[in-house]
Amino acid sequence: MLETLSRTISIEEAPIAIATLDTNLCFINCSRVWEEAFTASNKDIVGKSFFDIIPNSPQKFRKVLENSFSLKDNIIEEQRHILPDGSSQWYKWNIKPWKQSEDEIGGLIIIHTNITKEKHVKELLIAAENVAKMGGWDLDMITNTIHWSHITKEIHEVPLDYVPSLETGINFYKEGEHRENITKLIHNAVTHGKTWDTELQIVTAKGKELWVRAKGMPEFIDGKCVRLYGIFQDIDKEKKAEIKNAQIKERLDLATEVANIGIWEYNVLNDKLEWNEQMFPLFGVKREEFKYNFESWKATVHPEDLERCLKEFDLALSGIQDFKTQFRIIHPDGSVKHIKANAGLFKDNDGKIIKMVGTNWDITQLVNTQLKLDKSEESFKGSFKSSAVGMALVAKDGSWIDVNDSLCTSLGYSRNELLKLTFQDITHPEDLNDDLEHLQVLLEGRGNSYHLEKRYFHKKGHIIYVVLTVTAVKDIEGNLSHFISQVMDISAKIEAQKKSEEFLELTKNQNNSLLNFAHIVSHNLRSHSSNLSMLSNYLVDEEGESERKEIEAMIIDASESLDETVMHLNEVVQITTEAKEQLQDVNLKTIVKNVEKNISAHLQQKNVECDISIDPSIQVKGIHAYLDSILLNLFTNSIKYSSPNRIPRISIEANKVGKTIILNFKDNGLGINLERHGEKLFGMYKTFHQHEDAKGIGLFITKNQIEAMNGKIEVESAVDQGTLFKITFVAA
Amino acid sequence: MGKIESSCIIDDDPIAIYGIKKSMKEIDFCNKIVIYNNGQDAIDGLNSMVEDGMELPSIILLDLNMPIMDGWEFLDDFIKIPNCNTEKVTIYIISSSIDPRDIIKAKNYSLVSNYILKPIKSNDLLKLLSDIGTQ
Repeated sequence: MLETLSRTISIEEAPIAIATLDTNLCFINCSRVWEEAFTASNKDIVGKSFFDIIPNSPQKFRKVLENSFSLKDNIIEEQRHILPDGSSQWYKWNIKPWKQSEDEIGGLIIIHTNITKEKHVKELLIAAENVAKMGGWDLDMITNTIHWSHITKEIHEVPLDYVPSLETGINFYKEGEHRENITKLIHNAVTHGKTWDTELQIVTAKGKELWVRAKGMPEFIDGKCVRLYGIFQDIDKEKKAEIKNAQIKERLDLATEVANIGIWEYNVLNDKLEWNEQMFPLFGVKREEFKYNFESWKATVHPEDLERCLKEFDLALSGIQDFKTQFRIIHPDGSVKHIKANAGLFKDNDGKIIKMVGTNWDITQLVNTQLKLDKSEESFKGSFKSSAVGMALVAKDGSWIDVNDSLCTSLGYSRNELLKLTFQDITHPEDLNDDLEHLQVLLEGRGNSYHLEKRYFHKKGHIIYVVLTVTAVKDIEGNLSHFISQVMDISAKIEAQKKSEEFLELTKNQNNSLLNFAHIVSHNLRSHSSNLSMLSNYLVDEEGESERKEIEAMIIDASESLDETVMHLNEVVQITTEAKEQLQDVNLKTIVKNVEKNISAHLQQKNVECDISIDPSIQVKGIHAYLDSILLNLFTNSIKYSSPNRIPRISIEANKVGKTIILNFKDNGLGINLERHGEKLFGMYKTFHQHEDAKGIGLFITKNQIEAMNGKIEVESAVDQGTLFKITFVAA
Repeated sequence: MGKIESSCIIDDDPIAIYGIKKSMKEIDFCNKIVIYNNGQDAIDGLNSMVEDGMELPSIILLDLNMPIMDGWEFLDDFIKIPNCNTEKVTIYIISSSIDPRDIIKAKNYSLVSNYILKPIKSNDLLKLLSDIGTQ
């Protein structure tokens, strides 16, 4: 054809890039199109070497050209040429030798096409095919041949030289619905010209089940389907993930439904808010009334929580903190619900937040329970703090966890001081074991509480009497966590009790002395009066003068005795009635020394040795006259009942014991048989010695005087060894 | 109702003793009157009587309130006198005490036959003799 052409029209006119070369690969001539393609200026290229004009021809191309001389047919070569500016172009060369004569090749005819664009499109397609795992197929209905692209073959796991047919192609689809579906779709395409795009499963040549996307289109010519072509894509991973996702979603849906968890998704860009099924009952909103935007959510939130929620929402959107919050909403019926909300952010490739997805659930019950718990804890704390009863939280080891003001007040410690101590530290040692034993029972879980009376020490050292109630507190697992101790201070009560016991004792004593007094009156006074009445009767009847005189003398005796007894009784009555208000501070040594001086003549007469050892600073609460009388009585008793067998010795000493002064008055006299007379020693008109002066009144009065000064007198004695009177006074 | 051989008065009050002796003489109560001024003297005296083989006084008039040893103590010690034929002795408490406690206490002593309130009159002694006679 070209030969004919060259003869009829000049090659320069050809509308394609065509050139003829001689055997040296130098241009004989070329078309204008060629010139335009390869020469910048209108340079004459005739006679120039091909490789000078097209300098960047790859080496491979040089060989092709050189070999072309030996070829009979034309060859087509596609070559990539790197241009001087670094860009590349795809050229298609159609090369054919031309003959000078029958046997001699005159050179080459070369037709050049720039196929860069086509090549790029094709490359892109292949790349896309590879990237998308997308293959192509093409069925010629006339010849009934089918072409599978490289990828399509890979998907089917068949070798690259595999030749498929329509039938074998269909048989790759999994038996059953998948194969039936594709058959139906192909049929529809062929008969009705319908395209298809479906997802089906195939079984590969290696027996692997795969999900594929099959897309097909028919091509019709004159109402007859001549060709089917389409794409074929491996979507197994995606499909399986999708199926899995669907399962997960189903599970999640079920879970959220059961757990009553609402899920929402807010598209930040278009203000679209999606709610799942659970959200509507949760917020008490009807589906048909919901506007699916941010505003409609805002409308549900409790006004007092709204501002905070919006702030938290903004903070979440700006990425400063997670949206994890809690707020109240108001249902249309006015009821308030507590909602807990968590949300996560979704960002696009540029890191821009596009949506927020979150969960909501109803925690009203939880919050209410918590509130109740808080309230009860608060009220416990309140009552703990303000209770008039001392209260403490005590750890298992006995240390205080907390103590209230009442307890601090009772014990005299500040809160901080008390918290540094344990209850063992301040418990009276005699009461500690009892308390610990009870505590052990609770520690071993054999009881929940106990109750006992015990003593604590006040900070100042005195005893505090309390009623202690200890209750075990258990944690949520039922294990012992700590104790609550209630400490009721009953010191005042105990003190009052002691006082009333003292009063009782006093009353008893007074009662005793009253009885004693009654006895004295009934006996001692009466003995005189009976004597007097007897004697006066005798006097009336008696006629003998001497007898009368005798009786008269006895009447005088009796009346004097009566008088004396009345005086004694008066003295006793005086003591018990007038005493206590007159107590004053008296120096003991001065008194003792004075009395000693007053009876010094008497002492000297009997050669009594006196040893007085009293600290001059000792003062007692007493009545001067009583102390005089008591000491005088003791001195005279000692003198009166001194032993004739030894030099009488009196030793007097005084000691301060606590708040009392104890005066020991000791002699080495006759002593008293205490076993016999002990009970009556201080009774009225009791005498124990055969002594003319013994009247049995001295010790009785002494005892009364001492008791009137809130003191007491005790005696130790052994017959023929001596007597010790131990007198206790109140220290001044 | 005959007079008794001997009686004993234990009392520290001379006036009371005078009165009793006078009343005894009046009704010729006994042949012999032994007097002690307190319980201790009486115990000592009676003890030596027993030791000497003498017969104890058949009636003892015992005062309660006395120095050294009172009537109660005497009663406690009296039954302890060895070889003493206490059954032949009748003891009467003579006291001026009108304290009911003394009277009740006296009744608790089996040795004590009665409690006679001072002053003792001859009628009291006559009744006493008749009580003994009827025993």
